[in-house]
Amino acid sequence: MTVRVDDSPQRLRRRPIRGTGGRTAALFLTPFFLVFLVAMIAPVIYAIGLSLFAERRSGLGFGGAEKVFVGLGNYADVLASETFVAGFGRLALYCVLYVPTLLCVALALALLLDAAVAKARRLFQVLLFLPHAVPGVIAALIWAYLYTPGVSPIVSALSSGGIQIDFLSVHMVLPSMVNVAVWEWAGYNVIILFTALQAVPREVLEAARVDGAGEIRAALAIKAPLIGPALGVALLFTIIGSLQLFTEPKILSTATTAVTSTWVPNMWAYDAAFNRNNLPQAAAASIVLALLAGALSWVVSHLTSKGGTR
Amino acid sequence: MSLRRAPLTAAAFLAAGALLAGCTSGSAATPAASEPTGEITFWSSLSGMADVAAAFNESQDDITVDFEEIPNGANGGYTKLSAAIDSGTGPDVVGVEYYRLPGFAASGQVVPVDDLVPAATLDEYSDQVRGLVTFGDETYGMPYDAPPLVMWYRQDVLDAAGVDVPTTWDEFEAAARAVRKADPDAYLTSFFTNEPPLAPLAWQAGASWFGVDGDHWKVSIDDEASTKVADYWQKLVDEDLVKEQVGFSDEWNADLNEGVVNGWVGGSWSASGLMTRTEAAGQKGKWIAAVPPSWDGEPSGALSGGTSFAVTKNSENPAAAAAFLEFLTTDPAAVEARGDVGTAYLAYPGLNEVAEKVAPTGYFGNDIYQVFDEASAQVAPGWAWGPDYDITNTALVDAVTGAPTLGAALEKTQGATVDGLEQLGLDVSE
Repeated sequence: MTVRVDDSPQRLRRRPIRGTGGRTAALFLTPFFLVFLVAMIAPVIYAIGLSLFAERRSGLGFGGAEKVFVGLGNYADVLASETFVAGFGRLALYCVLYVPTLLCVALALALLLDAAVAKARRLFQVLLFLPHAVPGVIAALIWAYLYTPGVSPIVSALSSGGIQIDFLSVHMVLPSMVNVAVWEWAGYNVIILFTALQAVPREVLEAARVDGAGEIRAALAIKAPLIGPALGVALLFTIIGSLQLFTEPKILSTATTAVTSTWVPNMWAYDAAFNRNNLPQAAAASIVLALLAGALSWVVSHLTSKGGTR
Repeated sequence: MSLRRAPLTAAAFLAAGALLAGCTSGSAATPAASEPTGEITFWSSLSGMADVAAAFNESQDDITVDFEEIPNGANGGYTKLSAAIDSGTGPDVVGVEYYRLPGFAASGQVVPVDDLVPAATLDEYSDQVRGLVTFGDETYGMPYDAPPLVMWYRQDVLDAAGVDVPTTWDEFEAAARAVRKADPDAYLTSFFTNEPPLAPLAWQAGASWFGVDGDHWKVSIDDEASTKVADYWQKLVDEDLVKEQVGFSDEWNADLNEGVVNGWVGGSWSASGLMTRTEAAGQKGKWIAAVPPSWDGEPSGALSGGTSFAVTKNSENPAAAAAFLEFLTTDPAAVEARGDVGTAYLAYPGLNEVAEKVAPTGYFGNDIYQVFDEASAQVAPGWAWGPDYDITNTALVDAVTGAPTLGAALEKTQGATVDGLEQLGLDVSE
């Protein structure tokens, strides 16, 4: 693209217009970048700065604190922390459970929706999206209630049916959390995938049908592969979202001690900042998490875009 | 932490409020050389404090107090407070629990009151309580209440099991066994995994988790006495004699109402929370208070929670703040104004007669303030809270769930506390 711009005299003539476009674009983009600068870039720079220092009290600690430069010392402390690393272990396990579950559920629902009759389509679209309209905190609160033995109708119904499950036990709490997140995010991803399905050329589907493919065969062999790029986007959003996992465990930790105060990296950072009053460490942990999210999303977008063009 | 109880029950707030409920008194009438005047702000998570502020405003014309209720510590109140003070928008006067006060004092967020309040007033407090607000040679707050560790039992359940109120921990175990035997669904009490009462129980057993040794902190969370307490409760849990559960949860409320849990290792502040939770289940007159069982026959006690009021570094009118502070913590009128929102056991001498009159004592099967007096008189000396108890508390709660035994949990907590304090640059010895 850049080569063409350079060697075309016609384009040169158009430059004043392009310049105007640039100014107009700048005008429209400025508000965004101003807010972006204040709300994103500045805090990140501040956090990076913060993470290089440490507050050192001395003796009994009543003489006030002194700020000292420690370089990457906080990062070393954070990465050496058993609980921080364990948090990443839990996060990985969560992703392994959550990402495939969510995408499979969303894909299945989107395909069903695409196959449904037009009238039912709109209704189900709304119904599926409804849980996503519930704020995450509220969703987690409701589910925490539904999981708590003694007050939950679900638990008591199951136990009267002879099934004893403690959704909040040490081993069950992670799947319980995945359930909350899937409930919340499935509808959103269904919309993304369904929109992509709408763009699948109808003549391709007709050709498949002429060749004798049934609805299921058409869905799996034609539609699913054709919405690969949309699946890639959904995958990217889901993974980045998973890394930010905070609300669900934070709320569930009020209902069970199986969720510790440093259960996932984000909670570790929160605990460092507000329980241990160690802001520099919290900043370092956040930066580590952000770097990881950046690296992971690069890998995912790289892989899916390659897969898409092939 | 801040979100923890919010979804679960409003009753938890009431209980927390009750914790703070009984203790206001002050001597606003103490005139300084020149009467302080002006407007001050006051933050507290204690219920009924709005009424106290209003009473103070009515009692004089010089100072106006603006009250704002903040969440309790478990719901993020201290996070909010700390952030507000650092950004210069904090209140003049604020309620801080004893365990949290050293942290605020060390960071300079609250200021000494020695020059603001008459020394004679401060000298009225008992040494034990005074010690909880004194760091170095300075007093960082005015003690409000001094709630003793108190056991709560269902008298009718003890009767049905054929046991008396336990006076030793051996008898407590026997009573727990008898209750299980009399009704397989019932437990004598529960063990809170989210707020394990190991600190007051260890204190009662003679432990002292923190101490000052020369110019460094001595941390001994897994000392002999504490380990004895942990092993004892571990045994009760292992043999299914107490119910392990999340305290202040919906599940716990349901268990209290249905007679599954029939006791509470609480404090004097527990009374109003207990009443709120069990009144609808028709348990009036069935609950009694008792002093904690002893280990060796010698009565011993501890404090369970408690709040002090302090002046923050943001205060531009510390003289007015101090005048209100005195009213709040030492004046009987403040106790009366707060009313029956709780059963506070106040730190300043002479206030508990007033507190007893306004507290909802009629709900209980025995004279609870007499029990409070007794429990308070036997509080073991020498306990101090560490310079950043949040580190310890978080580690303890995590370890109680994660460690195989409570004894191991104490060891883990000890390690985490020492590491955490050393990372802050403090000098620590074990």
